[in-house]
Amino acid sequence: MKPLRPVADLSQLPSVTFGPRSLMWWGTLGFMTIEGWTTALLVGSYLYLRQNFGTWPPLRTAYPSLLLPSINLALMLISIFPAWMVARAGKRLDTAGVKRWLVITSVVSLPILVLRWWELWALNTRWDTTAYGSAVWTIVGFHTSLLLLDVLDTFGLTLFFFLKKLPVKSFSDAADNTFYWYFTVGVWIPIFLIVYVGPRVV
Amino acid sequence: MTDLREDRQLPVDVTLADGDIAREATALDATWRDSSGFWGWLSAVDHKTIAKRYIVTAFLMFVAGGIEAALMRLQLARPENTLIGPDRYNQLFTTHGTTMMFLFAVPMMTAMGLYLVPLMIGSRSIAFPRLNAFGFWTYFVGVVFLYVSLFLNMGPDTGWFAYVPLSGPAYSPGHRVDVWAQLVTFTEIAALCGAVNIIVTVFKMRAPGMSLNRIPLFVWAQLVVAFMIVFAMPAVATGSTLMLATDRAVNMHWFNPAEGGDALLWQHIFWFFGHPEVYIIFLPALGMVTPIVETFCRRKVFGYTAIVMANITTAFFAFGLWVHHMFATPIPELGQGLFTAASMVIAVPTGLQIFCWIATMWGGRPRLTVPMLFVLGFLFTFINGGITGVMLSSVAFDRQAHDTFFVVAHLHYVLIGGGLMPLFGAFYFWFPKFTGRLLKESWGKLHFWLFLIGTNVTFFPMHILGLEGMPRRIYTYLEPNGWGTLNLVATIGAAIIALSVLTFIINAVTSWLHGEIAGDNPWDASGLEWATISPPPSYNFVYPIVVRSLHPLWEATVELAVMTGLRADRKEVLITTTFDARPDSRHGAPESSLWPLYVALCMGLVFIGSIFSPYFVLGGIAVAMFGLFWWGWESTSDVEREIVALPDGTVVERI
Repeated sequence: MKPLRPVADLSQLPSVTFGPRSLMWWGTLGFMTIEGWTTALLVGSYLYLRQNFGTWPPLRTAYPSLLLPSINLALMLISIFPAWMVARAGKRLDTAGVKRWLVITSVVSLPILVLRWWELWALNTRWDTTAYGSAVWTIVGFHTSLLLLDVLDTFGLTLFFFLKKLPVKSFSDAADNTFYWYFTVGVWIPIFLIVYVGPRVV
Repeated sequence: MTDLREDRQLPVDVTLADGDIAREATALDATWRDSSGFWGWLSAVDHKTIAKRYIVTAFLMFVAGGIEAALMRLQLARPENTLIGPDRYNQLFTTHGTTMMFLFAVPMMTAMGLYLVPLMIGSRSIAFPRLNAFGFWTYFVGVVFLYVSLFLNMGPDTGWFAYVPLSGPAYSPGHRVDVWAQLVTFTEIAALCGAVNIIVTVFKMRAPGMSLNRIPLFVWAQLVVAFMIVFAMPAVATGSTLMLATDRAVNMHWFNPAEGGDALLWQHIFWFFGHPEVYIIFLPALGMVTPIVETFCRRKVFGYTAIVMANITTAFFAFGLWVHHMFATPIPELGQGLFTAASMVIAVPTGLQIFCWIATMWGGRPRLTVPMLFVLGFLFTFINGGITGVMLSSVAFDRQAHDTFFVVAHLHYVLIGGGLMPLFGAFYFWFPKFTGRLLKESWGKLHFWLFLIGTNVTFFPMHILGLEGMPRRIYTYLEPNGWGTLNLVATIGAAIIALSVLTFIINAVTSWLHGEIAGDNPWDASGLEWATISPPPSYNFVYPIVVRSLHPLWEATVELAVMTGLRADRKEVLITTTFDARPDSRHGAPESSLWPLYVALCMGLVFIGSIFSPYFVLGGIAVAMFGLFWWGWESTSDVEREIVALPDGTVVERI
């Protein structure tokens, strides 16, 4: 092996970073891309199947209800605030703030999850009735799995913050959890517009 | 990185003493080494260990897929043969294709990246070692699942692309297609875990100074392919898991025309993945060619930037020509024209790369070692496959040759020429790094010639058989068809290939055990992976090496510049900036853990169980949550004083 000449010392570099400077943020972005793209493929397939029908929804199929999904969309948009506050507290290393806003985010996320169950039935069709039914159930169902994952992650993080002394990087993790929450809510907006509003407009 | 010296706080004229380096290495090994014993083996997270498991498993899958091919060749060796019946034959060709594409080629190419990328970019680890272990175990569950199913006479039997309506509930009752649909899910999860790992590793963990224009071409290829995986794999996962499996399990109608579903939707979804899949296999192989050509021609590659751009261009085009697999379906003429043009255009960036390698060889003095022979074999075989590919891109010709042995010949020339030949060359090239020992050249040359001859004897006659009208996927044919002689020749060729692979296996096993000791850099190659000992230690490098050119070991003739200060008593990796690779932070790396294995087994329960009852999905997710909780719990146990860079620019110390 050739002689090694030290040219710089790295010991004073930070060992905890936030956002694009941290690995976890990039990993989260990677999985957001995969899940967002999967959603796009499902929506593309929904529109592809649209060509096979004269009316959309198909004959003898009611429009999906708007009331429950609108309420839930409003709740999701509201939930952005406590999630944003978690990230804000995390970026200030404010343990009490992170705990407080994680609890509030968890509390807000619960009715979203419960409403989602009714929202599926408010599609006013079953998955095994027509291809339209299969498509809308799969799209909303897939988003539900993202939502469930994020809610469970938020619950887990909240528990951890209360149960043990966490390493400082957990503040960065809390901020990344918020980043994923934005995605979960953000990806729902086009789904809402295409699945619930779209058939009424086009 | 020309201004690195400004950061320097250390004496200019001092190199590190051997004793200090050895002490640091001992401390690092104690920190980084995976636990020993049975449980330690199961909980390993070292990227090299995981990659070796991938490589060995994927190679076993190559052998399994090869045995299936050999059985098919025996059956077809003469007309009206009765060795294998139609039902078993259907399972064999489906499992052969599925194994080679999903369980051998993609995992093998990914595994080479998972082993080599961190070493080539001078990192101590990969970005997410536990995710990497989870990916491997998920893949392994898939492997076991497919082969247990095959031996239970439950092997999939509708072709590797499982076209509906044949694969739908009406025409394929039972669980054979379910096995295929869920196997795909396992391999997709594994591939996506690997892809995200490679992207983040390349973006954030490069050695100081390794700016974008100094990234080795193999790493570029792996990066481009990782992006392709991120956009291609969700398509097949959507098609197989969210559509085909649900059509079969809970009576959805995605592909049921009676209820407004569409069989062609499956073909679009599948080939939107399936065509990029070819390049996902092929681009890493091209990435392997460059260091081999450079090393054995003693010349820096001609046209570095052009090759990088060709990789990226190929990736873009690869997503724009899936419809050429569907020319026999009612596609609008405009679409046919567009996809014909795209299929021809993609030959341009590939041709450009080939010309760059020829130019490199032209100006150098090639040494015909085994890796180099395989590169030449690649050029010869792949160009033949590429040319028949251009032929098939023409709709008029494709309609004639569709579903015949001509297509079988084409795809094997492309995949064996473009994937396997460089891969074998890469084995010979990097085997010394993997094991510390050299493969025997004489056996290697025998392997090469047998393989080259065997490939051409097997697959060239298939062009003629195809043009004579012999369809694919038939278990036998009649004497008056006149296909017997060429089929017999192809079967003899398959035997030669089998012999060549056996030669390789014997060479690999004996060399691993008793081969000549290789040393750190037996080929005098230029990449960073050769700057560490062979096989590399658990921590890869004692110190991060400073990179000042594309060929760091050829440029640094006297000594290597390194950076000190990463801790040896804690797993730490250096994070650098995305474009210029300036040192940015230190990042903890996780300890070994059993939870990735546990969660992978739970996912196995979810996907395999879902074939039989939806309750398995709920139960599997519930037990997986338990594992994910403890995975997270373990990951948050390392409480120490940290230097924290806050987003507002301030830096504080905090426990």
